[in-house]
Amino acid sequence: MSALSKTEVVQELNRLFAEEVEAALRYLHLANSVRGTDHLVVGPVLKQGFQETIQHAEVIARKIRALGAVPELVLDIALPPESMDGKEALQTALTFEEAALEAYQDTLRRVEGDIPLEEFIRTQIAVESEHVLELKQLLVE
Amino acid sequence: MDTWKEFDQNVITHSAAHHLMAIADLLRQHGYARVSDVARRLGITRGSVSISLRPLKKAGLVEQDENRHLRLTENGTALVAAIKTKRHLMQRLLADVLGVAPAQAEIDACKLEHLLSNQTAERLLSFLRFLDSDPQRGRELVRGWQDYETACGREPQACPSCREVAECLAEKLSGAATPRRRT
Repeated sequence: MSALSKTEVVQELNRLFAEEVEAALRYLHLANSVRGTDHLVVGPVLKQGFQETIQHAEVIARKIRALGAVPELVLDIALPPESMDGKEALQTALTFEEAALEAYQDTLRRVEGDIPLEEFIRTQIAVESEHVLELKQLLVE
Repeated sequence: MDTWKEFDQNVITHSAAHHLMAIADLLRQHGYARVSDVARRLGITRGSVSISLRPLKKAGLVEQDENRHLRLTENGTALVAAIKTKRHLMQRLLADVLGVAPAQAEIDACKLEHLLSNQTAERLLSFLRFLDSDPQRGRELVRGWQDYETACGREPQACPSCREVAECLAEKLSGAATPRRRT
């Protein structure tokens, strides 16, 4: 069993929930901020990122509900109008995806001992790692 | 340059100032600062912190080592010191001299700390030093002003403070709602 109480676990999950919802909003904003022909190339990648990230948020929310709690969402985000090229958008996406990945890795350390939760977080880490890798590959190509 | 443009070209934003100060505080308290620590301290997501740190790294104010630990560069450290000093000076001016309630003085000083020019901050420091140089006289000076009862007749032409703008300044302030946070 994890050293964390149920309330603390829910707090951890709420933090991850906020990371995912905020990342989804950033993807949505980025997808509509890319200008020119880059919009045709990178737009679909960013929109897919939005959809997948929202799904991750839902998975976290379900986990919170399964623990008998209700998700809490605290966001403090401002996304000013800022047109950018495809590379800039992908670099921005990579920045917040890496941050999300690190957030999961932090949580994994904190929930150590709670095997089902550990497994859940490990699965999410695998998915997030895949995202980060894909973005890195796109930035190299 | 137009003042409003200068405002936009300020070295750092309010949010950036708080990120820098959070890093400085964490380094002082724990000896290290990670993105997660800054996020917890500011009550925002790690994604938000990472995005906010990008321009600060580009500006040479923050560095991140191979262990993902954050540190302030020499310029970053100097900027934090200047911001904290300006906050302290503003807080003193507002609370000790102008008699603004401490909580409100703290809020307003926080809003202004990163916007105040060095030139103004130096003049402010000089003024506070003047008051501190003879504490009794300084207190009397401030008390004299605080005790001064304004019998405002709402007549701009007869008022030395309002004559230049030909409008009643007190009336303008009393009619102004406190600005709400931008959404």
